[in-house]
Amino acid sequence: MTTGAAQALPELMKQNGATIGRLLANGNLGHAEERSGGRMHAEIRIPQDQLVFDPAVLVLPHGGEVELEIFNDDDNTHCALLPSNGDSQFIWLVNHSRGTATLRLDGPGYYWYSSPTGNDEGRGLTGAIVVMGDVPQEARLDRPKQPRP
Amino acid sequence: MAEPIEYVDAGRAVDQVTLTQTVGMAPPVTRNVTYQRILRARSEPHNWLTYYGAYDGQRYSPLEQINTQNVRQLRPAWVFQCGSVGLTAGATTYAFECAPVVVDGIMFITGWDGWAWAVDAQTGNELWRYRHAIPFDVSLCCGNVNRGVAVANNKVFMVTQNAHVVALDATNGKPIWDKAYGDVRAGESATVAPLIVKDLVLVGSSGGEFGVRGHIDAFNMETGEHVWRCYTVPKPGEPGSDTWPRDGEAWARGGANCWVTATYDPELNLTYWGTGNPAPDFDGEVRQGDNLYTDSMVAVDPDNGQIRFHYQYNPHDVWDYDSISEHILFEMDGRKAMAHFDKNGYCFILDRTNGQLIRVFPFVDRIDWGDIDANGKVTAKVFPDKEGVPVHFWPGPAGGKEWTHAAYSPKTQLLYCPVQDVGATATRRRREFKEGIPYWGAGVETDAGDMSGCLSAFNPANGEEAWRWRSDIPMCASVLATGGDLVFAGEPTGEFHAFNARTGEPLWEFQCGSGHHSSPTTYSIGGRQYIAVPTGWGGWTEGFAPGMLGVPHGAALFAFALPD
Repeated sequence: MTTGAAQALPELMKQNGATIGRLLANGNLGHAEERSGGRMHAEIRIPQDQLVFDPAVLVLPHGGEVELEIFNDDDNTHCALLPSNGDSQFIWLVNHSRGTATLRLDGPGYYWYSSPTGNDEGRGLTGAIVVMGDVPQEARLDRPKQPRP
Repeated sequence: MAEPIEYVDAGRAVDQVTLTQTVGMAPPVTRNVTYQRILRARSEPHNWLTYYGAYDGQRYSPLEQINTQNVRQLRPAWVFQCGSVGLTAGATTYAFECAPVVVDGIMFITGWDGWAWAVDAQTGNELWRYRHAIPFDVSLCCGNVNRGVAVANNKVFMVTQNAHVVALDATNGKPIWDKAYGDVRAGESATVAPLIVKDLVLVGSSGGEFGVRGHIDAFNMETGEHVWRCYTVPKPGEPGSDTWPRDGEAWARGGANCWVTATYDPELNLTYWGTGNPAPDFDGEVRQGDNLYTDSMVAVDPDNGQIRFHYQYNPHDVWDYDSISEHILFEMDGRKAMAHFDKNGYCFILDRTNGQLIRVFPFVDRIDWGDIDANGKVTAKVFPDKEGVPVHFWPGPAGGKEWTHAAYSPKTQLLYCPVQDVGATATRRRREFKEGIPYWGAGVETDAGDMSGCLSAFNPANGEEAWRWRSDIPMCASVLATGGDLVFAGEPTGEFHAFNARTGEPLWEFQCGSGHHSSPTTYSIGGRQYIAVPTGWGGWTEGFAPGMLGVPHGAALFAFALPD
């Protein structure tokens, strides 16, 4: 019999608990909000001493352009390397700093991003951006609706 | 109560490329690369203008500065490195598979995970980059790979692993248009190098292991407007539909993906595509019939996407013998011919005006799945037809030759083929179809210990082997033939070889540090000839050489030249 990792071993979800770092993508989940013109917006924070992006999983309702506001509330310096069509986006985040990033992402699917300094990535500063929705109708297969898992 | 934080302004995130010395600009060398110029690609041998070098797919260059007399002096001129960053799709299966395209000293290449670069072909310096963000969870049967670009009219065209086709400004890598042409929720993806014909960009789809319906798409080069789609499995009522079960939806999951670039005969106005395996790969009982147009050559009219004629290499395939490999166009006894090395271990010489068989002959030593007689009659002998019963057959599902390309030298009139001699065991395991889930219909294990390979030269006029260079391991990289009477081919163990094209004598080798699974090309700048080869072992290694799964990955493109 198995149980959810967070329930069975809550110490996995903190720094220097069960492991040295924190298990990836097991923090909070947040949704981007859609603004006029279809552009999306979301906030991501790096809380003190947790070495995690909050939310750890950011959900976009569809592909397109999203503006992220990123806050480093930690007493340490971090950064973020984020996926975007064209080129990855990099921002340096000294202690108690705030910046923005504009990302263009296709959907559906999910993407990882991280703080590529030292081993922030392994300690927990690796987040996921989940893009919901479907590909455009014209890109889909001409066939009857098929069963899914 | 804690004091509110007074935040330092971190500003806006920047393109990662701004944290490099990359200039972000390339000379407008592709501005005058028109369809007319591509038609005459071989008349400018200092360039490698298309995926195969020219529409005929010969992978031959008349350049002869590097030749049998001096090739032993060949040495690296520069190396372009491009290591992986962060968590990416298929992080342990990526490979560097592209064919470098070169126009007037500028090289255009793609990597895994959405990368494209323009590189100074004389120095190896990166000039610009484009990176398409690829979902981590995209379905990739055979690794995170991409086979290269097409260039024309100041644009670079590429596909992305999540099935988009993108047009980039060739001078700075900025996107001009971007169209989705596959459904990632259905298991579709894209890996093919696009083909330019007239004002169209032609691309095929990937995803045959997920029970999709294969298709070829055409887009207007300038606007990205979708012009036509050609499905390679017919719907009920369409020509060929009687080769699928009358009842049910086997056709809708039938596969036949074209994931390798077509060749093109402008006189006949026909593109020649190889189609992939049917789905499920190994469970033929759920798709009785010949299953057109799987495992076939389809001659497609580029103006409207209609299939003019076809030749099916593996009717009712149950060995995963995709026929996606190139069709090399050449003239033989005054006849418009084409050559195709199929996964099933046979080389087919066809008349490209009508698809009729001229000659068929085996090119790999061990073939026991069945046989094909001189008239092309296929007799299946060994296949996984009973549930739960293991069946071993040669060649395995990666074939006597995988997608990596053969070459043809009009000078020697020989075909040069990278050969894989590996078997496999498949045990039929029926499964219910579910969209986006692998749909093989078997458990499959390729032989890890009993393997070999060779580079073989064949005379297409009689099917005889002219020479062979034996290797202990399968040859899994494309061959390049040159006017210097040389053929170049890389090994999974990293060695890059030059052979005498007439005798097969090995003349030179260089250890590149990682295995070869790409397509070398050649070009010249200021009268100096270069040989370019991407190295970076990976892809569907468990299919074509599981005994090489532990070989180091890599991500480097080597350019070789004679000393100044």
